[in-house]
Amino acid sequence: MKKDENIFEKSVEALKNQQIPPGPSDELNEATIEILNRLSEQPNIIELDNRTKFIDKIIVLKSLAKFAVAAVFLIIAGFAAGRLTTTQPPDIEEIRASLEPAIRSRLLGEVKQYMQLGLANSYVRLKDDLTEQYRQDLNQLAANIVAANGNLTNQLLENLIESIDAAQSQDRQLFAAALEQIELNRRRDNAQLSKALFSFAAQTGNELNQTKQDMAELFEYTRSEGFVPNELNNPNNIN
Amino acid sequence: MQVVDWKIIIEEHGPAVWQTAYRLLGNDADTADCYQETFVCALKLSRRQRIRNFPALLVRLATTRAIDQLRRKFRRERFSNNSHNPPDGSDNNHDPAQYIQQQELADRLKTALVQLPPQEAQVFCLRYLNDMSYRQIANELSIKTSATGVILHRARTKLRQFFEVSSNEHKSEVLL
Repeated sequence: MKKDENIFEKSVEALKNQQIPPGPSDELNEATIEILNRLSEQPNIIELDNRTKFIDKIIVLKSLAKFAVAAVFLIIAGFAAGRLTTTQPPDIEEIRASLEPAIRSRLLGEVKQYMQLGLANSYVRLKDDLTEQYRQDLNQLAANIVAANGNLTNQLLENLIESIDAAQSQDRQLFAAALEQIELNRRRDNAQLSKALFSFAAQTGNELNQTKQDMAELFEYTRSEGFVPNELNNPNNIN
Repeated sequence: MQVVDWKIIIEEHGPAVWQTAYRLLGNDADTADCYQETFVCALKLSRRQRIRNFPALLVRLATTRAIDQLRRKFRRERFSNNSHNPPDGSDNNHDPAQYIQQQELADRLKTALVQLPPQEAQVFCLRYLNDMSYRQIANELSIKTSATGVILHRARTKLRQFFEVSSNEHKSEVLL
């Protein structure tokens, strides 16, 4: 394709740049001028041209007339052929009866389709409107619920805080009472233990004195018998 | 009626008419006939209407006559089965092979131009061989400038198709 395009362009260039011999020759120019002068000197050329134009007009009118006659004949022939070849004129009632159901069914179908289309459009529009309304109602309801719940929640929280404070104060009181009871028990036990220890110490001292007396009596008795162990002679030995 | 000094017209615009006709016809005899026919036709036109642009009119007439004559010539050559004239070798400035190649390309384009409708061939020659603008062509042919472009596009398309077909035929001949 590109090659053909190049050949085409080259051909144009070749024809355009073709070597042309100088011309025209003087003889040709003189001959042409002579022809033109001869034609110019003919006085009836214009009349001849006018006559030629008139003859041309007549020829054109004749051809137009022939064409018109031929067209008329053609129309008449076509009309006659149509009249001859046509059958009985169609029965309008029959045609209407045959066409009416089809037209009715088609019209019904088109109306049905149109109505379905309109209902579909209305359904879509109504659905959109209801959806929008439903969304707005939900938003409003949610706002109201949130506001009401906020107040209730605040009140409940206050009650909860108060109950927690009361419970904590009661717990503190109970804890303080328990601590006080424990302290009282501790003091009482301590006192009892001190008393018991004092009584135990007093009893132990008494028993020790008794034992010392017994030992002194035993020593007296033993010395009187002549058998005195060495350990008992030492007064510093408490055992 | 417009008074015209044909001697001056021929002296001024004769070479352009000659070149236009010779470029398409390629020989002196046919070119001379086309030359004279062009001026006779211009004389008749000058009696019917006022000529404002003689160079463009003469080039257009020369192109039209040359294409008609070229078409008649190709028709005669087709019947006589003598479709190629041997080169005369008058051009001594170029390589003979290149000259023959250029001549062959020019002949192919002439053959293609003959097969175009007259108006398309005329518009193509005026635009590409005589370097006339769209507006000048439109004024000379009494058509719109856009119509000139359309006609030129059609002519180029048909010529390209002709060259494609001739190239394919040439390839098939070479393969055979």
